[in-house]
Amino acid sequence: MTDTAHLDVTDTGWLTTFQDLGRTDTERRGVPSGGAADQHSAAVANILVGNRRGAPLIESMGGELAIVPDVDVLVAVTGTPSRVTVGGAHVDSWTPVVVPAGHELRISEGGLGARSYLAINGLLAVERFLGSAAPDARMGFGQVIARGSEIRVDTGFHGFDRTFFDQSLFRFPVPRLAFDEKPWTIDVLPSDQLVGIPGMRELVAESIYTVTDRSNHVGLRLNGPVLHPDDRTEIVSHGVPIGALEVPHADELIVLGRYRSLTAGYPIIGFATRTSLAMLGQAGPGRELRFRWVDRDRAVHAARAVEGELQKLESVVSDAFVALGVPTTFSRGLDCARII
Amino acid sequence: MSIHLEAPIATERYGDSAVMVTVRHPDAALRAGHIVDVRDRLVQRRPFGVTDVVSGLESLLVEFDPLITAAEHVEYALRLLADLPPLDALHVTPKNFVIPIIVTEQTAPDLDEVAAEWGVPSDDVIDHLLRSTLTISLLGAAMAPMMAGLETVRPIRRRAEPRTDVPPGSIMVAGTNAIIQPFPGPTGWRVIGRTPLTIVDINRPEPVSFSTGDIVRFERIDTAAAARRDGEFLLPNTNGAPA
Repeated sequence: MTDTAHLDVTDTGWLTTFQDLGRTDTERRGVPSGGAADQHSAAVANILVGNRRGAPLIESMGGELAIVPDVDVLVAVTGTPSRVTVGGAHVDSWTPVVVPAGHELRISEGGLGARSYLAINGLLAVERFLGSAAPDARMGFGQVIARGSEIRVDTGFHGFDRTFFDQSLFRFPVPRLAFDEKPWTIDVLPSDQLVGIPGMRELVAESIYTVTDRSNHVGLRLNGPVLHPDDRTEIVSHGVPIGALEVPHADELIVLGRYRSLTAGYPIIGFATRTSLAMLGQAGPGRELRFRWVDRDRAVHAARAVEGELQKLESVVSDAFVALGVPTTFSRGLDCARII
Repeated sequence: MSIHLEAPIATERYGDSAVMVTVRHPDAALRAGHIVDVRDRLVQRRPFGVTDVVSGLESLLVEFDPLITAAEHVEYALRLLADLPPLDALHVTPKNFVIPIIVTEQTAPDLDEVAAEWGVPSDDVIDHLLRSTLTISLLGAAMAPMMAGLETVRPIRRRAEPRTDVPPGSIMVAGTNAIIQPFPGPTGWRVIGRTPLTIVDINRPEPVSFSTGDIVRFERIDTAAAARRDGEFLLPNTNGAPA
């Protein structure tokens, strides 16, 4: 049986929005897929509460997001390392947590990464644009969650059937991101154009690049050494994948994000691998990055390994939740919303 | 639409999940036309594992899921599609649009510069726009209609310094293309007019009424007429083909 839970938003981050894994098949109509900058954390948060990976959830940047539900709800917090409390008591991230009615869930981001994700068992009541809850600020679809607003969730969660404890202790095999104080390593595949800039491959491999505060959801702008191609023939605007590394005319490197549009015709030297995109989505101003050139086999192998971990997690969570009487909405096979 | 593509396509790997497709031919107009053809075939007969397509003026970025297909399969499918005649379903009748524009000092800040570039009076530039029959070649950023077929004295250069905030409805030109800005934003294109109509409305189930292949003409209206039609959603012309 599904009931509607109401959650009071008592505090927000610098920017707190509804989010999901983004739009599918809209780029050919000029709308970027958008969606959670860190797709891995968003997918894991949803799996941990028994939702399908692409279900709507909440993304928050900086500050302290806090909510108070009017009934018991099952939630999970992932993303950047944070101090998470329920009614003032510390609880773990990257695991399912019960927030009892009238108690406050508070997420205080630690600042290592840029974003945290909050998933709630059930279906969030959200507006959608072209089938997705993901914001597209440029097109006037903000999806911003304001302090004092109320979030509604249709949920079938009514506590656990086994009631020895209010909080059930889960030990799931959760594929967590590794956050570190040291520079993060981003795997990149070289482009065909890279050979046209002699010395660039070596320069990128041995340098450290720093995310600047001119970065946004369109792209990360990095300070660090670059070389420019000798011939600056005009490149006609063309599409670019998420994670493309561009060298603009200025001495900086741009890594394109999920809201990129056609490139202005700058040379592209490489592409972050699919599995590296999650950490790029967590890289905020001041973060130091290193790039490691890899080949396609390694990139696809890594993507397959992560997909295997996510499927394993879905399987284990599903088994545990069935035993505890918690509803799940996982989908299987090719239908499952894959992290793009 | 051509039955066979006379020019070969070229593909390039763009990371682990995308392939860039271009057409090898010295003529830019032919490259642009052929890439539209390849895109239509691809979208109609979606090869397994292809997730999305990003249109450039002369290129196509084909995105795929590398866990269920591989670049080799996608490239092979693209070559097959380029060789095959198009589906009959592709022969849809294009819609016709007549888009009203106002041209004032405020709404056409780059008009004089384009005129100077061509060495003609400013009104001549607008006359070129008004007698052009344009075809929507792709939907650009935020569903902006990108149109080919602008009549020009010579291709129009972009601004050296992009404008940072161009209002919605702005008619912008570069090369032999025109585009309409659906939302406020930056551009390096030349702004030579503005339509009072709403081009993209995200609150409608179908946010735009146009698609690629549709035909567009512009008509000049005065500010009083523009005020009456302010915010009206752009719909196709129902009176048959534009005169």
